[in-house]
Amino acid sequence: MGLTKRFGGVTAIDGVDFDLLPGEVHALVGENGAGKSTLMKIVHGLYAPDEGRLEVEGRQVTFVSSRDAEAAGVAMIPQELDLFPELSVAENLYVGRHRPRSWWGGLDWTAMRTEARRQFETLGIDIDVTLPARLLSTANRQIVLIARALMGDARAVIMDEPTSSLTEREVQRLFEVIKDLTERGVGVVYVSHRLDEVFTIADRISVLRDGLHIKTAPVSELDSEELVRLMVGRALSELFVRNPHQHGSIALELKGLSRSSEFTDIDLTIHRGEVVGLAGLIGAGRTELAQAVFGIRPVESGEIYIDGERVSFHSPQEAMNRGVVYVPEERQSQGLILPFPIYANITLSILQKIARAGFLNYDRERKTTDRFADALSIRGADVSEPISRLSGGNQQKAMIAKSLACEPSILLLDEPTRGVDVGAKSEIYRLIDQLGQDGKAILLISSELEEVLSMADRVVVMREGRITAEFDRDEATQERVMAAAAGVEEKAGAAEL
Amino acid sequence: MSKAAAMPRSETGRMPAGVRTLLLRPEAPALIFLVLLAIVLAFSAEGFLDPANLEDNIARVVVLGVIALGVNQVVLSGEIDISVGSMLGLCAFAVGAVGESQGGLILPLLAGIGTGVVAGSVNGALVTLGRIPSIIVTLGMLYALRGMILVITGGRWITNIPSDTRALGLQSVAGVSVPVIILVVLLVVVELISRNSTWGRNVFAVGGNRRAARFAGLSAGRTRFLAFVLVGVLTGIAAAIYVGRAGGVQTNAGQGLELQVVAAVVVGGTSISGGRGSSVAAITGAVLIGVILNGLVLLDVPAEWQSAMLGALILLAISTDALRRRLLREQPS
Repeated sequence: MGLTKRFGGVTAIDGVDFDLLPGEVHALVGENGAGKSTLMKIVHGLYAPDEGRLEVEGRQVTFVSSRDAEAAGVAMIPQELDLFPELSVAENLYVGRHRPRSWWGGLDWTAMRTEARRQFETLGIDIDVTLPARLLSTANRQIVLIARALMGDARAVIMDEPTSSLTEREVQRLFEVIKDLTERGVGVVYVSHRLDEVFTIADRISVLRDGLHIKTAPVSELDSEELVRLMVGRALSELFVRNPHQHGSIALELKGLSRSSEFTDIDLTIHRGEVVGLAGLIGAGRTELAQAVFGIRPVESGEIYIDGERVSFHSPQEAMNRGVVYVPEERQSQGLILPFPIYANITLSILQKIARAGFLNYDRERKTTDRFADALSIRGADVSEPISRLSGGNQQKAMIAKSLACEPSILLLDEPTRGVDVGAKSEIYRLIDQLGQDGKAILLISSELEEVLSMADRVVVMREGRITAEFDRDEATQERVMAAAAGVEEKAGAAEL
Repeated sequence: MSKAAAMPRSETGRMPAGVRTLLLRPEAPALIFLVLLAIVLAFSAEGFLDPANLEDNIARVVVLGVIALGVNQVVLSGEIDISVGSMLGLCAFAVGAVGESQGGLILPLLAGIGTGVVAGSVNGALVTLGRIPSIIVTLGMLYALRGMILVITGGRWITNIPSDTRALGLQSVAGVSVPVIILVVLLVVVELISRNSTWGRNVFAVGGNRRAARFAGLSAGRTRFLAFVLVGVLTGIAAAIYVGRAGGVQTNAGQGLELQVVAAVVVGGTSISGGRGSSVAAITGAVLIGVILNGLVLLDVPAEWQSAMLGALILLAISTDALRRRLLREQPS
C-alpha cells in the first residue's frame, strides 16, 4: 500500500500499491531498474519501506528480516540460485529452518530425507534428495529452491525471474508446479522479463516503470504490444531487428569435433555475415562446444578451420589473435571483473595493444572505451564507475563491447540476452544484426526459441552433445526445433526428412 | 535490480567528493589509525620521536616494507606467500657469504636477488604449473628453505662481513638513511608498475575474477608467476639491507617475518581475497606494525604481553575497516 523506498536521494519505488489474492498468479513486469526487485525485497523483509505499509490477510505487519516474512507465510525464490553446493538436497531444504532432531539431540537424517522426499512428491518431481546440490542441473536447482520456499507452509510465493536459466521444457514443468500451487490456494508473484510466459501463466499483470506503478489489469485486458508500450513508455514496433545479410566465404568450420562426455562429432560451418543459431536444452553441450572452439576446453579430436586454415587454440589469447571471441553466459562469474571500472573491463582483452612497452596510457584507454561505450549506448554511466553499478543489460553490453574491442571476425555469443530487459534486448538484437551486416560470422547460442528463430539465418540444434538437426531460416519453426532439441520424434518432420 | 543494489552508495552524497575518494582508498583506515597512534605515542612514550629511536626502527620497518610490497602483489593476484621469512634468511646468507669472500656491494646484492628469484620462481611454478594452492606451496617452502639454510651452513653463523657490503644498511645520503631512500624508491617503482603497466592491471584482474580474466585472454599463470618472482627480487634487496644493518647472519634470520608481512599487507588495507588494495597500503601496514612494536617496548610493556598487544592492535586496525565500510555504505568485497 503506497510503498516508497528511497536510497539516498534516489527514489527506487514511489508510492506503489500492490496486492496478491490467494490462488492467483500476479505477474510483475518492468524493465531492469523499474523497481521490481526492490518492491519484492520490501515484501520479503530485506528492505524496510520509507513510507507505506504492508498487510498480510488484512493485518498490518512489519518485517524486519526475511525470517519474519517467512513466518508470516511469504516466501521468495531469489533470482540467483543460492544453494549450498556441497550439501545434499535434503540439507539444503533445511538451511535456516528448524531441523528435526533424533533422541540424543543429533540431526535426524531419516526424518529430514523423508520430509524432503514428501515435499518433492507433492511437487510431482523426482529428485534424489541425498545428492549434493552441485550435481543438480540448473532446472533442478530451481525446483529445489521452490521446494525450500514451500517448506514453511507459504501462502504467498515470490518468484524473481525463475525461468532465466531454464529451457522451454523446464519452463513447462515449472508452470505445472505453479498451477499446482495456485490450486492449493497459494498466491504467486511472478516477476519476469519474458512476456510470453507472463501471458501464459498470469491472472493479473502489474507494470512498474521508473519506480512508479503504471497499471494493474487482468491478463485478458492486455496484449503484448500494449504491455511492452506500458513497460518502456513508448511503442516498440519491432523487438527483433533483421536486415538481409550478404553471406561470404566460410569463416569458421568444425569437422568432427569431439570432447568426451561433452560433445561428439560436431560438424558446423559459419559464413561471413551469417548468424547461426545454436538451439538446445541446457546441458546439450552448446556452451562446452563454444568454449572448446575458444581454446578454454581442450578439443580431443576433430579439426577447426578459420578461413580455410587449420587452427588449434590452447588458450583464449590464441583464439583472440585469430579473431575469435566468446561472450560467456555468466556475466558475473565469467564475464566481468566486478571491482573494476567500466573502462578497465572493456579494455581487458586489448591492454597489450593499447600499451606501449608494457605501460598503459590512460588517455588512450579512455578514448578506446568511449568509442565502444558510445557505439553500444551504455547509458547513464561515467566509464570510471565500477561496473557492478550498471544494470544487467548495460553490463551485458559492456561485455560485448569488450569482445568488439578485439576487432573479431567470429563471435561466439552465449545467451547474450539472458536476464536483460526488453529495451536492452532490442539493442543487442540490433547490434547482432549490424555485426552480421558488417560481415562477421556469429554463433548465437540461445535457449529462447523466439530469439533463435528471429535472429538466425540458420538454426542448428544440439541434443546430448550431438547435432540433431539443422534448419534454414524459412524451415525453422518452434515445433521442429523443440522436437529436435528434446529428442521427440516429430512425425510430420520425420516423413519429410 | 542492479540499479537498486547500487543505489545505497549515493547516501554519502553529502560528503565532499575529495574526502570520500580519500576515505575509499584501501589504505585509508590504516593510515588514520597510524597517525592517531603516532600522536598518542609522541605524548605518552618517552623517546618515541628521538632520532636515535627512529633510526633504530627504520631498518626493521624497511625490511618488512620492501618484502610487503612484493607479497602485496601476490595477495592482489588472489594468492598468498608465507615463505618470505625463510627466503629472507637464505638470501641474507647468500649476501653474507658472497660479501665475506668477495667483498663489495654489487656482487653480494646480486647474489641475494638471484637467490630470491630462484626461490620465488619455485613458488610461482609450483602454484601455476603445479596447480597447488599457494598457501600450501609457500608453507612447504617456508620449511624447505629454512632447512636449506641449516644444511648449507651446517649451523655456522656469518659474522665477518666487510663494511662496503653493509653499505645499504649503514650509510645515509644528505641526512636520510639509505634504507629509507630504497623503500621510497621501491614504493614509487612498484606502485607505478602496478597502476600503469599491463602486468599490474592483470594482477588486479586475475585477483578480482580469475575466471573472467582467463576468458578475456589474460594469462593468469604468467601474471601470478611474475608476482612470486617479484617477491623474490624484493626479498633479495631486503636481505642486503638486513645484512647491512645486522652486520651478521644467524641461522634463524627472518624467522617469524612471514606472518608480519602478511599482517602488514592485510592491516594496510589490501583485501586478502585479492583484487583490491595498493602498494601504499602494504607500506602503511608495515610502518604501523613497526610503530606498534616500538611503542610496546617504549611503554615498557612486559615482553610476554607484546604478542597479545600486537594481535589486539591488528584486530583493532582491521575493525576500523569494517567501520569505514559501514560509514560509506560500501559493499564488503
